Amino acid sequence: MEPHASSFVSKARTAFHSAAAKAERVLTDFKIDLDSDKQFHDDDFGMQRGDESARSENESKFRNELKHIKWRPPGIGTKQDWQDRINNIRKGRKEVEVTDKVGDVNVGSVPFYDENLYILNVKNDLDAKASEAIPTVEGLTAATKHPIPPSSVLKQLAIAIEAGRQTNSMKDFVASSPAREKAGLSISSVKALVLREKEDKLTSEFSSDEKVVYLINSLFDQEGEFLRRKINSDPEETSISSLPRDIHGAPPESLVVKLAEVIGNFKTLRGMSLFWSRVVDELRKHWSEEKHLLGVPPDDIPDLKSCLLYQQFQVINCCISRKRRHIIAIESLDSMVMEANSNTSDSANYMGRIPTSPLLYARLRTGELVLRLGADCPSGDLTLLETGEPAYSPVTQEGPLLTEDLIKETEEFVLRTGSVGAGCSQLLSDMQAFKAANPGCILEDFVRWYSPPDWMESEGSTEDRDSFYGGESMSSRGQLSLRMQKEGNLWRELWETSKSVPAVKQTPLYDEDLAVEGILDAFEDIQPSELYRQLFVSLLGLGFAIAETMLSGDIDTSKLFNDCKEYIVTTSQSDGFHEKVNELVQMYETVEKMLLNPDKALKMMKHMEESTMTTDEPKRRFSTGEPKHRFKRFSHIFGGKDKLLTPVRKDEVNDEEKQIRHSFSSFFDSKSSLFSKKPPKPGNLYPGEQPLSLERLDSYLDKVQFHPI
Amino acid sequence: MSSSSGQSSGYDLSFKILLIGDSGVGKSSLLVSFISSSVEDLSPTIGVDFKIKTLTVGGKRLKLTIWDTAGQERFRTLNSSYYRKAQGIILVYDVTRRETFTNLSEVWSKEVELYSTNQDCVKILVGNKVDRDTERAVSREEGLALAKELGCLLLECSAKTRENVEQCFEELALKIMEAPSLLEEGSTAVKRSVLKPKQESQASQNGGCCS
Repeated sequence: MEPHASSFVSKARTAFHSAAAKAERVLTDFKIDLDSDKQFHDDDFGMQRGDESARSENESKFRNELKHIKWRPPGIGTKQDWQDRINNIRKGRKEVEVTDKVGDVNVGSVPFYDENLYILNVKNDLDAKASEAIPTVEGLTAATKHPIPPSSVLKQLAIAIEAGRQTNSMKDFVASSPAREKAGLSISSVKALVLREKEDKLTSEFSSDEKVVYLINSLFDQEGEFLRRKINSDPEETSISSLPRDIHGAPPESLVVKLAEVIGNFKTLRGMSLFWSRVVDELRKHWSEEKHLLGVPPDDIPDLKSCLLYQQFQVINCCISRKRRHIIAIESLDSMVMEANSNTSDSANYMGRIPTSPLLYARLRTGELVLRLGADCPSGDLTLLETGEPAYSPVTQEGPLLTEDLIKETEEFVLRTGSVGAGCSQLLSDMQAFKAANPGCILEDFVRWYSPPDWMESEGSTEDRDSFYGGESMSSRGQLSLRMQKEGNLWRELWETSKSVPAVKQTPLYDEDLAVEGILDAFEDIQPSELYRQLFVSLLGLGFAIAETMLSGDIDTSKLFNDCKEYIVTTSQSDGFHEKVNELVQMYETVEKMLLNPDKALKMMKHMEESTMTTDEPKRRFSTGEPKHRFKRFSHIFGGKDKLLTPVRKDEVNDEEKQIRHSFSSFFDSKSSLFSKKPPKPGNLYPGEQPLSLERLDSYLDKVQFHPI
Repeated sequence: MSSSSGQSSGYDLSFKILLIGDSGVGKSSLLVSFISSSVEDLSPTIGVDFKIKTLTVGGKRLKLTIWDTAGQERFRTLNSSYYRKAQGIILVYDVTRRETFTNLSEVWSKEVELYSTNQDCVKILVGNKVDRDTERAVSREEGLALAKELGCLLLECSAKTRENVEQCFEELALKIMEAPSLLEEGSTAVKRSVLKPKQESQASQNGGCCS
């Protein structure tokens, strides 16, 4: 019997190991493809860094920027002005001035395309030398006084998504500029003497940095006060919960959302990546210490409507809970067995012994008393057919915790092999647990508990009854259904194979250690764009969820808000998400304006309704900004209809090729592709570009006007 | 990155269908009857099983991957993962056992709400075993009322006599094709399978060798 028993179990194990091996092979192939793509785009990587630096902001820079903006000469600078500014950069003027000029560059990006390239190259060099400023807990806490996270945080995540698409490993970011590190070190040494700042470049130094340690401790703090926003205590929270799930984000106030806000506040890709590594280390520590993650339910199965990262956090917490329960269950069983042995040795005449609680015994037909192992509770009024003893439901093993990626893997595995391994393993496990809890039972007892429709109680003459679905025959106590009696039925084979083993002593159907180790390994090897995309969507969901409650009372702004909300839900659910990240950022900025400057938002609404252009410059900027949003929304809908109207395979292949081409474009390629997308409407080309620049300039002005308050 | 021959798939759309309902209502018999016209008695399903069928509906060539689940309560958690991204769900009851009908609204429709990640998925209510009319315990009117409540179609059929069996799947496929988002998913699935021809052929080979 033993070899036969192990054959089923080993089959199931082989099945899953085989699946894991195949998945690993697929991943290897995937990485090889990405590596070749990375080489192709290696030259563009520097541009991305320049762009990222140009957009990153912090409070101190903002103050300096405010100072400079006030003194900005009117109008767009001439070529001579640009030359002067470049010379100033060479002379080592302050970094903030560069930020200021980048703002100007946006305004005149079309006519000064070449200078734009040059300036970004220079900026790139400066970035390599600049220190990696780490956000502080105090700074982040102060930011929670704003109703929703600043759009600059979301922008940083958007930059990271774009940059991350050119690599498949977070480590590439950490090691992105080894040569520059040396140069940067020497310059920063001088800078440190002047500014008295510390420069931590190495990973270990980063991890031990005071600010990083404080950030990690606050993020995982068991009190959960870090980054809490008051609006979430609103009783309407129940009604707003659908948005984060509609866009496959994470629940507000969850660990994922807080993580997104922290990482989005770093100013460099390198800092973001190093912090993620530090977070993974902390997750390992929590797992080894069996400490739950705060901001994640302690014992829920994965929520497939949230992002994968959140599901994986749920699995970690759930596995911690299960391990605790398992330890308790084993100790309980062991002490029960010890007590039973002790009772037996005390009395030679055990056959006459009356069972006492909490020990549960079953009496066999021979009169022998046998200890029930792993019995949970009586199974209704069911009694065992041969012994007349009450039937007990056994404690059974808990099912697998499948995140969406593992579900897909499992499904593909079943499709490929026809395996029903998971079902058979569970059925065998349940049979063994049932035998341990019900000594003297037979298959019919198990079926009556497990699959009641397959048991037919006796009810007199049934000769005329149709037997197709499960006929009956004369019996004093009932009969298995015909389908269950069928020769070769796997249920009977499994039953005869199964041993009497309580669930806690069985080979695990789902190995918690293996599962969590797999998740933590996946975190270490996660593709950067995959990580940042999830953080981006989660933070986006938080901002909109909060804004929804704050704006729901105002009819005017809620109309505009709902348009933005509808757009982000549609965009997030569609393919081609990556091409629309910047549009989502703009939607977020619009909502941010509605919250920070409701009057201007209302004016914008009025202006749209009136459909007239006014002479006032700020209003004109707003009005030209909004039509662009509408244009993009319409183009999206139109594009969607195109897909539906032309399902022919050739067109689909062409469409896919377009996506592939676009997905690997750099910052400037992205701009050129923006132009190439609009040939059918040449009249919109330049007007379309200008509002974008005006809008960005406008966001600076908004901040200027906001902060002095 | 380049795709292999676009002609190798042999169909236009690919949909995932899920069969759910109490144990013993005839889900597996229904599926086998549809796939191969067989009416033999079947052992109870353990865990999950699947079969693949290609057919032409509304002028389109369809590939249906139909997942057959075990109805026992203990298998519910294990099978909850197969609801993910299903475009069509068939809820089956036995017209001769009222309990199986009651459980559709008390148990199975709640499972659909909980585990389905596809908001637009099309549901169809199927009352099986109508060949045993003398033992009928659930009237057609009651079935129609529940179908209306759940917002889906009702079809009564018999896996044994094959009455209405093909109509069940064809009606479901037509409804799926009427939903734009599901239609797009169906064509997307075809494009993806074109990029993985090896997996496709293996799936076809294994399609008919399940217990």
